[in-house]
Amino acid sequence: MKNLITIGLPSKGRLKEGSVDYLRKNNLELSSNGAERNYFAEVKNFPFIKIIYLHAKEIIQRLSDGTLDIGISGLDLLNESPININKKIEVKKKLDFGSANLVVAIPDDWIDVQTVADLEEVSFDFRDKKNKRLRVATKYPNLTNNFLVSKGVTQYKLVPSLGATETYPFIGSSEIIIDITSSGKTLRDNNLRILKDGLILKSCACLMIAKKSKNKEILKKWKLLPKLHQ
Amino acid sequence: MKSKNYSENIIKVFKKDGFILSKPDVLLDSDYIIQRSGENFRKLMLTFEDDTGKSMCLRPDLTVASCIKYLKEKSKTNSKIYYSGQAYRRSSGPKDKVVNDQLGIEILGSKNKSYDDLKILKTITKSIKKIKIKNTSIKVGDVSLFQRLLESLKIPERWKMRLNRHFWRPKYFEDLLNRLETNSDVDPSAVELDKKKFLEMKNIDQNKEIANRKISEILSRFDRKIKDPRSFKENKKTVKIIREYLKINCPIVKLEKTLNSFILKNKLGANIFKNLSNLKNLSKIDSKTVFSTNFGRDIEYYTGLVFEVYNSSNKEIARGGRYDSLLKSLGSKRNISAVGAAINLNNLKK
Repeated sequence: MKNLITIGLPSKGRLKEGSVDYLRKNNLELSSNGAERNYFAEVKNFPFIKIIYLHAKEIIQRLSDGTLDIGISGLDLLNESPININKKIEVKKKLDFGSANLVVAIPDDWIDVQTVADLEEVSFDFRDKKNKRLRVATKYPNLTNNFLVSKGVTQYKLVPSLGATETYPFIGSSEIIIDITSSGKTLRDNNLRILKDGLILKSCACLMIAKKSKNKEILKKWKLLPKLHQ
Repeated sequence: MKSKNYSENIIKVFKKDGFILSKPDVLLDSDYIIQRSGENFRKLMLTFEDDTGKSMCLRPDLTVASCIKYLKEKSKTNSKIYYSGQAYRRSSGPKDKVVNDQLGIEILGSKNKSYDDLKILKTITKSIKKIKIKNTSIKVGDVSLFQRLLESLKIPERWKMRLNRHFWRPKYFEDLLNRLETNSDVDPSAVELDKKKFLEMKNIDQNKEIANRKISEILSRFDRKIKDPRSFKENKKTVKIIREYLKINCPIVKLEKTLNSFILKNKLGANIFKNLSNLKNLSKIDSKTVFSTNFGRDIEYYTGLVFEVYNSSNKEIARGGRYDSLLKSLGSKRNISAVGAAINLNNLKK
């Protein structure tokens, strides 16, 4: 919309709470019409800003196609996105909430596997002795491929996961997983263990902008980014 | 000479030397290839889903496509084929082409290795001569010589297999050498912790599976791993020998002499590199051929001889080699040896 700055915020969970807090700390007080499921909000005293609540993944998409000017989403989701989307978005600031690590986790009882190098050996055992590929369940296929291949693990098969990835090794859907974790508790509770050198990415919520935002002039005029950058 | 004339003349030589046209499928089952070549290969493939939801791809390579065709036909005999067609790969940089014209020959089910290696290189050099390209040079390597060297070294079996598997990935291979040199692949404190668990696990049903691995399998690998003989001094020496080996670069006529002095200097077994006749034979084609131990490390499927032919401006115009395990990795139950080569048509055009 013309002359209107659109900011995308995560629509649920800790990322939503953190984002609203963060804006409040920067003197941007949100107000909505009170309806619980309203996807839109306004900012008091800033009539030219429009807030939209979206899925964190969709915020990345909408920043890349220019629907949003500014957004808050996870670094993991940005790094996972394809290059043609990724290159259209700039990270302005890493924020102090939403921190989580993308890690390689294996069944705790695989005591012979401590490092990615061990995993590489086991993956060859799967190929040579069982004539199968080691299956890796993940919601992050791109980051997974880049990491495993850079560490010499090439003999595996990806299993796309949509949720509850921790269950996959124990219901026969995969052998290991690559997933996001903040405290590691869910992994431990599900008898999984993180490999010693299995940290792929340290993620957190980030303030992002669309590189080609049509509203750069208004952003400048109202000094909105320096405001958010404090 | 135009590209089309190049192809026609090259094919004439292929046919005269007894190679028969093979027309491999353009569309291949992607899962079949991924299952056998690993997820990494997916990056190269142009894939789509058909109406049934099956993932298909355009053939990424005519060698792979020809091997799949050979296996489908269940040929029992050897097959001398040539192909001429397009291969399709996702480009990884702006200079890479998506559609590549490929023209090559293969001997699938090659029985007489030494004879067939020579035959492939001979046919390729003959076809290059036929299109009147002069002042060419040849470089060769042999991946299997590295395996022979590894066998003779005093390092844990796991390390031999590891270095062998990653020989074709120079960057990661260098990481491995650094790790071997500094002895940094087992953490003693973690091992102590896991020993406790090891004893606990010894008392449960050894056939129980955890994520597709039997307890017995996990425990036996753990046991092997902690018992690996490791000597810092020995590992350092081994790495030095490997690094020195990878620097060997000499005219093929001096290969035997060069390898012998390498053996003497490093006090290795006298027989490691015996019987080099298949390589020495190649000097019959061009006595100026150069041999390099570090050569041919960019394609995983080569298992023996690797060669490249260059034009006068040092551009690669043909490459090939022996790939004895590709057909097995593509699903064959028995080992089927193979050797082949392809002409790089793009570099022939002026």
